[in-house]
Amino acid sequence: MPTDATSPYVLELRDLTVDYGGVTAVDHVSLRVPRGEVLALLGPSGSGKSTLLHTVAGFRPPTRGEVWLKGRRVATPERAEPPERRDVAVVFQSYALWPHLSALDTVAYPIRRKGSRRRTAREEALDILDRLRIAHLADRRPAELSGGEQQRVGLARALARQASLYLFDEPTAHLDTHVRGVFLDQLVVRREASGAGGLYATHDAEEALGLADRVALLNAGRLVQLGTPQQVYAEPVDVWAARLTGPASVLEAAVLGAGGGRCAVSIAGKVVTVEGSADTSVRDVVPLLVRPGWAHLGGELRGRLQSVRFRGPHSDHVVETAAGNLLIREPGPPRQVAGADVTWTLSRTWPLERPLKSPDSTAQPPLVQL
Amino acid sequence: MPSRPAGLGWRFGVLAVGAIIALLVALPVFRLVYVVWTEGSASLHEIFGRPGLGEAVVNTVLLAAAVTVVAVPMGTLVALGLRRADVPGRRWWRFALLLPVLVPEFVLGYSWTQAYGRAGFTDTILGLPWPSVLGPWGVWAVLVVNTVPLTYLFAAVGLATRAEPNLERAARASGAGAASVLRDVTLPLLRPSIAAASVLSFVLTLGSFAIPQVMGTPAGFGTVTTRIYRDLSLGSDPLSFVEALALALLLVAIAVVVVLPADLWLGPRLRITRVAHPEGAPIVTSRGGAGRWIAAGLGGYLLLGVVVPLIALLAAAVTPAVGVSPSPSNWTFDNFLLVLTSRNAEALGRSAVLAFAAAALLTLLGGCVSVLERRRAGRAMASLVTLTLVLPGSTLAVALLITYGRWLGSGLALILLAYLAKLWAFAHRPISGALDRLPPGELQAARASGAGALTAARTVALRPLAPALLGAWLICFVTALHEVTMSSLLYGPGSETLAVVVLNSQELGRIGPTAALSILLTLVILVPAVPLWMLIRWLRSPRRVRGGARSRSLAHAH
Repeated sequence: MPTDATSPYVLELRDLTVDYGGVTAVDHVSLRVPRGEVLALLGPSGSGKSTLLHTVAGFRPPTRGEVWLKGRRVATPERAEPPERRDVAVVFQSYALWPHLSALDTVAYPIRRKGSRRRTAREEALDILDRLRIAHLADRRPAELSGGEQQRVGLARALARQASLYLFDEPTAHLDTHVRGVFLDQLVVRREASGAGGLYATHDAEEALGLADRVALLNAGRLVQLGTPQQVYAEPVDVWAARLTGPASVLEAAVLGAGGGRCAVSIAGKVVTVEGSADTSVRDVVPLLVRPGWAHLGGELRGRLQSVRFRGPHSDHVVETAAGNLLIREPGPPRQVAGADVTWTLSRTWPLERPLKSPDSTAQPPLVQL
Repeated sequence: MPSRPAGLGWRFGVLAVGAIIALLVALPVFRLVYVVWTEGSASLHEIFGRPGLGEAVVNTVLLAAAVTVVAVPMGTLVALGLRRADVPGRRWWRFALLLPVLVPEFVLGYSWTQAYGRAGFTDTILGLPWPSVLGPWGVWAVLVVNTVPLTYLFAAVGLATRAEPNLERAARASGAGAASVLRDVTLPLLRPSIAAASVLSFVLTLGSFAIPQVMGTPAGFGTVTTRIYRDLSLGSDPLSFVEALALALLLVAIAVVVVLPADLWLGPRLRITRVAHPEGAPIVTSRGGAGRWIAAGLGGYLLLGVVVPLIALLAAAVTPAVGVSPSPSNWTFDNFLLVLTSRNAEALGRSAVLAFAAAALLTLLGGCVSVLERRRAGRAMASLVTLTLVLPGSTLAVALLITYGRWLGSGLALILLAYLAKLWAFAHRPISGALDRLPPGELQAARASGAGALTAARTVALRPLAPALLGAWLICFVTALHEVTMSSLLYGPGSETLAVVVLNSQELGRIGPTAALSILLTLVILVPAVPLWMLIRWLRSPRRVRGGARSRSLAHAH
């Protein structure tokens, strides 16, 4: 297989298509993961995240396109290297721990496969368990471990592989924040030492935005958007992407002009100038994305408070406006009761220039996520 | 499942089932022990000194060991091979491998003698006879062919329930090659299934009668079961009777000695609750030619083991006499016409009614035990029922005969009792397995939605259980129809089953009519089996269960 040792990418997908069970699960996806980067694959269940991951790991051959790992072509439709010869480690959905092996032997397994003697492998494994603070569980089998402990053993096994690419196949319960911290620390060490990268499949936006350097949005096998967490959150390409990446209200309003990072929009006859960039040629009514923190109660625009929810650190207010329903998040307890007439201000927006697929989606109350 | 104090109905159920087990199994076995103890203790020394007896015991144990040692690895290999996605016609092979089970075992044995023996099929056509097909080697080979479907099923179920694909993928992603994964992950995960298959294969071979009788006895190769048959059918002296009783007891003693340690070790390991992937998904799709080789190997095995013998049987049935070449010009239906007598028709009717009734009662009994074992109080029942697997048919038949023979005579009632006792475990296993797979939440949800216990069972549990219930019925029907070990010991004038008629005809050496009868007996099961099998498939097809929702979600999935 051709190699390019100088490649700056730990993973490169070139026009990858994977058919699975009569469905195109991954559809012409091209992307690159540079050394030291964690890329999150964010998509609803059935969007092809797992299939993509399995193709990278070597459990499934591509139908079209190529997979390159660290500048080495490892999979084409004609020839796919088996997983054990690829430089990848996998953290599985529900951990996939071997029921007949102790935690220590589980973690020692990848080290043994590299040719180490049993003793050395166990010593190294114990060291990894220690770093994840579960050395005291070394002799336990999976049935004797709690869910969180199993998760750590699964991570330890992946770390023991010393791979240049770590694949996370939707760890079912999301990673325990503490474990995630410890693991990312370990990954950082690896990144600095060897430039390892990560590919993290999840359907949880908060998780994806919180841990990844960049996020790839997948819908029905297609790559919809690729960008930093801030980009995909603040500037999603369409309504679907906006709703996937977090709480989103969509107003219908005309953009009158834009420039210098600000734009003028007309809402219910009133023209307001807010933060946000837009194509100046847009003059028609377009869907405008408003994130919960981009609008505030009080000001010149009018609306009616449809519902209020107290959420602890903040309260969510759903305001019925002439342009559509709007979620406004204010710190502290609710200040108004449902049904009251309120005023509000818009401070920022993002025009979703593509036309809406279903005309009634603006009339729907916004998807409010906890 | 939540356990609450056992109610009155529950306690009654446990008592009733316990009483049936006591009457069907425990009492007869105790009676057997008692009779051997009182009548035989004086002559035991004399009995065990009789010529050929020690040899029969050694033969039996060696045969059981030799069959197990070959059939278990073969079944496991086949199950592993059929997991590969690149085997052409995977679904079809899974079904074809179970074919030997649909042929009565003594018919299979008999057809082997017709295929490979002197003046047999290969001898006539190719001049290649295999004289030792009559004798220990032939008995061993046919028993292996007869046992492989069972060991294959155990390994396949074990793979589907224990070897979750991700466990093997995790090993591959840890740097293990295909061979290491097999050694380090797959086989260790399969160990309980393999052990269970070994125990069952050993015990079933120990109690097997028809194949040694058809293929071993003519060559002077005797086993414990054929000796019991000889003692009871041909022996006239009282000592032969006591010898049969003693041998029946010895047989179960050997079985217990093997099973007890295995059961102690396996007991907790055999509890399966989750089914990872019923199809046993391929782990890594590779594009080698291996799949084609596996298919070729399976094809060769089925061809030599089942297809050629059955063709030879058919040839023997349509040729007028031994030595006549089986070419189309010589074909005749005389043999079929010859066996279509009113006596044989009556025997067929008896067999059908008996098997039908036994299967219906067994499904009911198996269902009762499966439900009762959900609670602690009923768990002992299930263990007892599973233990009856260890009882060889010959032992059971002899024990029932000396316990109830004087009231029931030798007849259909006694044979029915024997079927119930012997096949209870066969009915219990599939139903219990299906109940295990039924998510407890579904019944609770029905109860919480306002359904009473019975309504909940009828509306929510019956549909998913239907394939298992029908399957259990079918297994019992087929096994009862083919049963010859116990029927041949228990039948009397006017109560022969068709299987017994075939066995007797074979012993008289009438090749053509025997072959014709064998074919009829084999085909009879198609009458209920084909529609039932189609019904089960229809019930199991996911489209029916989940309706349009599944096909819609499939369009988005993956």
